[in-house]
Amino acid sequence: MSSTELMTLRENADIKIIEIKTDLSSYAASDLRKMLESLLSQKIEKVVVNLSEVNHINSTAVGALVGVAKRLRQTGGDLKICALADNLTRTFNLIGASSVVEIYESEESAIAAF
Amino acid sequence: MEKAHIELKIPSDVSYVDPVRALVGKLAERLEFSRKRGADIQLVLDEICTNAINHGSAHTTDGIDLRIDVDANSLEILVRDTGRKDAQKDGWITPARLSEIEANRSPCSEGGHGIFLVNSLADVHEMARNAAGGTDVRVIFYRKLED
Repeated sequence: MSSTELMTLRENADIKIIEIKTDLSSYAASDLRKMLESLLSQKIEKVVVNLSEVNHINSTAVGALVGVAKRLRQTGGDLKICALADNLTRTFNLIGASSVVEIYESEESAIAAF
Repeated sequence: MEKAHIELKIPSDVSYVDPVRALVGKLAERLEFSRKRGADIQLVLDEICTNAINHGSAHTTDGIDLRIDVDANSLEILVRDTGRKDAQKDGWITPARLSEIEANRSPCSEGGHGIFLVNSLADVHEMARNAAGGTDVRVIFYRKLED
């Protein structure tokens, strides 16, 4: 199964929700980046990335999320992240990305923050 | 636990990093590292393999070599690449280039965090030029430093 099949896209009003069910090492991060780029090209402005089923994330994947969040903000949108396991939170904190991307405990709270 | 020595060669393709990460995770578990520390070890392994593949070996045919040594108190990983063969680039990541990456790193940047994470999480982190003109990255995790 490719990592793309483990990334599903849902909608809640004008918000796109990406639910990831695979660990985000460089291989899967490349697919995540493609999915995010596709949303950018469709002029989608609001994105929530649900990481509740992700046990590992590397700096490449964090960088992809940070990059897209920054680009969405330039056009008035944003990318918010939710449901991080403790070790993922630690990786975001170490890199400093938690000061750049908004992180929420649940998908509902991330959606409500838009 | 008796000393064990494992050697692997994987293609220069990031899709091969996940199986190796799973192996290292199992080894950390067997050595009774905490789950948190096991996650750190897997993250460091991911970062150094990704760097070796994306920056240290230009062709998939080169591959990268991994050596893993475990004993009762530590888990040591050595990742060796053969270096880029571009005429304009040095084959290994020089101290000057390392300093430049660190100086330019910011929470807002999309890249340049890998080496910082490795430095932050490993008990020992060493980089050296190897005979092939590439880079050897060696990291050690000690059980005695468990929190």
